[in-house]
Amino acid sequence: MNDQGQGITVVSLLLAGLLLYGGAGWLLDSWLGTRLFTPFGLILGSALSIYVIVKKMGGVKS
Amino acid sequence: MHNIVPLLLPLEGDTSWPPSAASFNSRPLFPGLGIDWVNNHMMQAVIGALLVIAIWLIFSHRQTVVPGKRQFLGEMAYNLVRNSIGKEILGSEFRPFMPYLVAIISFILVNNLFGELFLFMFPTFSKIGYAYGLALMSWLLYNAVGIKKYGFGHYMKKMTLPDGVPVGLWILIIPLEFISNFVTRPITLALRLFANLFAGHLVIMVFVIGGTMLIESGTLFYAAAGGVSILFSFAIFALELLVGCLQAYIFTVLTAQYVSSAIAEEH
Amino acid sequence: MLLEIGGSINMIGYALATLGPAIGVAWIFASVINGTARQPEARGAMLGTAWIGFAVVEALAIIGIALAFVL
Repeated sequence: MNDQGQGITVVSLLLAGLLLYGGAGWLLDSWLGTRLFTPFGLILGSALSIYVIVKKMGGVKS
Repeated sequence: MHNIVPLLLPLEGDTSWPPSAASFNSRPLFPGLGIDWVNNHMMQAVIGALLVIAIWLIFSHRQTVVPGKRQFLGEMAYNLVRNSIGKEILGSEFRPFMPYLVAIISFILVNNLFGELFLFMFPTFSKIGYAYGLALMSWLLYNAVGIKKYGFGHYMKKMTLPDGVPVGLWILIIPLEFISNFVTRPITLALRLFANLFAGHLVIMVFVIGGTMLIESGTLFYAAAGGVSILFSFAIFALELLVGCLQAYIFTVLTAQYVSSAIAEEH
Repeated sequence: MLLEIGGSINMIGYALATLGPAIGVAWIFASVINGTARQPEARGAMLGTAWIGFAVVEALAIIGIALAFVL
């Protein structure tokens, strides 16, 4: 994978993780009337995205 | 001074101050006939497509072994796309994708240049529906190519499950990768093209409409400021020329990139 | 002509929140450029680490825009 491909992968993974889990948390919040799940979902989403990015990009051993 | 706005912004739906998303509304070309979907912006896109077809037909008409000026120009444009996008990104498998890449870069380029061309002065892709349409075509292309190469099951596994993820995390990772590869990719592809042209055209409207209002305000000082503002809008037009070419290139590069990642071997 | 400013104060917050990630991303890739100039053969290893750092920093900016719309 070349540089552009890596950049696109990173950005789209981050957006996907935050949209998916942050969105799920927001839906839970508006359903239950709480304010807790949105930040929780955002943090979970970014953590999972960074985990996948480390799995994909961190394999470069010098 | 009242004719500057129709000259510089002829296709806008609404030229009142301040310019907003409503300024990008389309006008039906034949009102009252029940075919309101034939509007001025769609007609512009059709003209752009016909122009692209005409240009490439002229370039490829009666080719000879020793190229003349016309053929040389066409080959130069084609080689630019082939070498800097096709061969660079897709490697040895670039040949079947060249017609699509050349068509899409010329179509986007022509439509973006409409933003600076008198008579049109409106970049078609500053309406998001057109950008979504192009992204949908690229989406269909790269998924079809991947499914054709790997088969449906293997392709989905390749696109949704990175190597080395423990089984307990699969339920969290698979939806994430699915959204990343099949939803955010085409949407960011469309949004990148749309947002650049939309923002640029909005800035032009601010300068042109605002400048006209200042000129018509009657005060000498305001009128001078309005004149400078109209002049400055031409600098923005020059910037938009650059942005239009750049975005056409980037859209094509990213399409090639997605195709390349769909057919790439796992490493 | 009446001058009026409308809109949401959340966007000002988001504008402030982008400053940190902007500087961070700029610094990461400036370091990669510097490192490549000093030692071109280490570019691949540096870029791999840089993308991970970029992801950590960029997550803040994306959380910022999400919260600007949600809160």
